Amino acid sequence: MEAELQPQEERSPAPVVGLSLCDSAPLLWRLQDLKAVRSEGLVGALLGSLPRTPRQNVRLGRPLLLLPEEERLLGERGGAAALPAQNQEAAGGELQQRYTEEQQRSFEEQSVLALEDRKSALVRAMTSSSGSDPASDEALQHRLLDLEQNFSFPRSALAVQLSTARAGLSHCPEARAFLEADWPIRAQRCPRREARFQVFRDLRGRGFFLTSAGKFGGDFLVYPGDPLRFHAHFIAICLALDESVCLLDVLCAARLGSNVKKTVLLCSPAPDGPVRYTSLQWSGMV
Amino acid sequence: MSGASDGAEANWILRHPQMKELQVGDSEQIHAAFLVYMDLTEVRRWKEVSCVKIPDLQAVLLEAQEKDGGPVYTVLPLPVHQSLSHRSIRQALDRGFPLLLCAVASDSTLVYQRMTDGLVTPVPPVGPFEDEGRRQRRKRRQQQR
Repeated sequence: MEAELQPQEERSPAPVVGLSLCDSAPLLWRLQDLKAVRSEGLVGALLGSLPRTPRQNVRLGRPLLLLPEEERLLGERGGAAALPAQNQEAAGGELQQRYTEEQQRSFEEQSVLALEDRKSALVRAMTSSSGSDPASDEALQHRLLDLEQNFSFPRSALAVQLSTARAGLSHCPEARAFLEADWPIRAQRCPRREARFQVFRDLRGRGFFLTSAGKFGGDFLVYPGDPLRFHAHFIAICLALDESVCLLDVLCAARLGSNVKKTVLLCSPAPDGPVRYTSLQWSGMV
Repeated sequence: MSGASDGAEANWILRHPQMKELQVGDSEQIHAAFLVYMDLTEVRRWKEVSCVKIPDLQAVLLEAQEKDGGPVYTVLPLPVHQSLSHRSIRQALDRGFPLLLCAVASDSTLVYQRMTDGLVTPVPPVGPFEDEGRRQRRKRRQQQR
């Protein structure tokens, strides 16, 4: 795989990414983790809503959900670790306190500025209406003093800034997190999953990018490069060599594949090494 | 139709010289093989069509060329309600030729699917591609709203 990706660049070892587990779903939240995982050729699926464009799902944001095969592959390479689940109440309380403190600080600042504003407006109004003479000066000073003593900045006038970039999402300091990390024991080894993983690993090893193919009735969509740049070439269907499959299903898959201009790939890992691939295409014989 | 004509039909097929040789395994599969044989020879007029018995698969394969001197195909005829395994497909592919899987329906409709070893890149969609102009796109967006 090294050979296909920029051989002339010096390859530093891939950074370890931190997985957050939501029930059993492996999620990546941190930007550097998403970048690291993409640079290793794992695509995943974005799940989150973008704060500035919430009511659509064409473009989604973090977190990134990994396929079980992607998670397992990362695990095999020692490239991922599970981050400890955050204590919800403690985190919440802390954030809330920080928020109120910030609000208070902002309020005080804004009161001072509002008062300055009012004063300068008053000065402008009074000096423009009458010329400079000692009597009006004194009146002005009197009024300014009055203002300062009686001015109160109403809370409802407070300008509040909402950050659209998700603040407070970064986890506890990196080093500590990884020292505490442990691997979740959730392995479910059933034959179908095993077959899927073998195929995933083999195809990824050949430099293909794979995503989930639920839309096309298959196991994986196989891209010759990054999905942002290419259309998928294959719909991979993983099955055991001896698994009996109905001929009607084969015809179904082949028809669908030809409708969407992709080749259906029957993939079976063989006990004696390499994965066997059979390409299924329309014959062209009407 | 009724049983009588079916019986006569079946007898006729059984009396065909090719059919007489093929007495291995599954009679349904043999019937399917026969129909494909007739299709290839009489309808599509392929050349050098021959039958091969494969005891491992309990099936009859056909070997044929589309034209004289053209590439040789292995043809695997199967009744459509039957099932098969990837292993049996690999065994047929092991003969070294691309495989045509032919599904035979109960009404004798034949569907051919091509199977090859390895990863065969699909044929890309044909151009020229016309990008829609801005007015078209705006019109479409308004319609969607």
